[in-house]
Amino acid sequence: MQRILMAQAGPGMILAKEILNPDGMVLCGAGTPLTPALIERLISMDIVDVTVEGHPVTVEGEKTLKEELQEIDLRFQRVEDMAPLMYLKKRIQAKLVASRSFEGAAK
Amino acid sequence: MDEQKRAQFKKVLREIKNLPTLPGIVAKLGKMAEDPDTTTEQMGRVISKDHILASKLLKLVNSAFYGFPQRISSLNSAIILLGFNVIKSLIISASIFEVMESQDVELWEHSLGCAVVCNVLARHMGVKDPEEISTAGLIHDIGKVAIKMELPREYAMITELSQEKKISRLEAEREILGLDHAEVGSWLAKSWNLPNKLVEPIACHHDPQLAKEEQQASAIVHFANIMIRGLGYGHAGDIWVPPLNNKAWKLLALAPADIDPLLMEIEEKLWDVKGFSLDIQSKQEGAA
Repeated sequence: MQRILMAQAGPGMILAKEILNPDGMVLCGAGTPLTPALIERLISMDIVDVTVEGHPVTVEGEKTLKEELQEIDLRFQRVEDMAPLMYLKKRIQAKLVASRSFEGAAK
Repeated sequence: MDEQKRAQFKKVLREIKNLPTLPGIVAKLGKMAEDPDTTTEQMGRVISKDHILASKLLKLVNSAFYGFPQRISSLNSAIILLGFNVIKSLIISASIFEVMESQDVELWEHSLGCAVVCNVLARHMGVKDPEEISTAGLIHDIGKVAIKMELPREYAMITELSQEKKISRLEAEREILGLDHAEVGSWLAKSWNLPNKLVEPIACHHDPQLAKEEQQASAIVHFANIMIRGLGYGHAGDIWVPPLNNKAWKLLALAPADIDPLLMEIEEKLWDVKGFSLDIQSKQEGAA
């Protein structure tokens, strides 16, 4: 899932998290597909950002999946003899791979 | 390490001139709490006299790391829900982080992230007061701020040494100062009369086996620090995931099957906290 600004939202994207108004009331549930009309409405309601499935927006300067995986390897480099931490690393990487694939494969 | 030099650093750090002194309000609230006739409303009134502090407090309380399902909009309900000890440590964090926000956004992000993980782990383990462990997570690296502010020259040397030798910040601190941020943090926490439940996890977050009374809380903060560094959220001075202590790991009794759901929950909450720390950044940019 990816958190994006309303300005980056486009039709066909699917909400990964519900949208709440400032009072905490649900405006739109998770799983709702964004349509041009809905996007317009949300903008008019001053919603600033939304969380959508997959990773549809490429942010400038954002690291590639490969770079991020390498960084994780580097961070864990000094604890490679600790089995629980190697397992933790494996799961963090697996989760990252899943979240970066499109169509909300993280589910 | 030169014993004399160590003593000198110790003296400087113990005196702490540059860190904000604790607002007088903390001492006042301490007295009020000892008086059995004090009501929540009275306490709320005292806190709300400082508008900035009160709003910071509410912002912290409503941040994702406390995980309350509803928005807490009044100080009174915050006091009732969180209890006096947590409120007191939050007032301290709010005052400290006022400095930290401008000093070191990355460390603040790391600290908030660590608090989130502490909260998730504590709830998973069914700990009685998960909020207190979150608070311990939030201020576990307070010693780093103290070193940065009181000994800026040595702080820069520590950064340089850790990059040059590719060692952790902790190791570099021990080499240059003969003491480390965990020890410094515990002095600070003690000098603020924080409960042992906060002092020990700060003191022992790298060596949780040394905890005498608060083994569980120390183990949680220890592992939360490892997890948040593993996730690469925020930055605590060096990139490395610190080593795991075996005794703490056994105490946590996490099964491999627990890891995925925990990561999922942590990620969810970090989304919300990210907005929280971004707020601070954008505020800074706006001020610049």
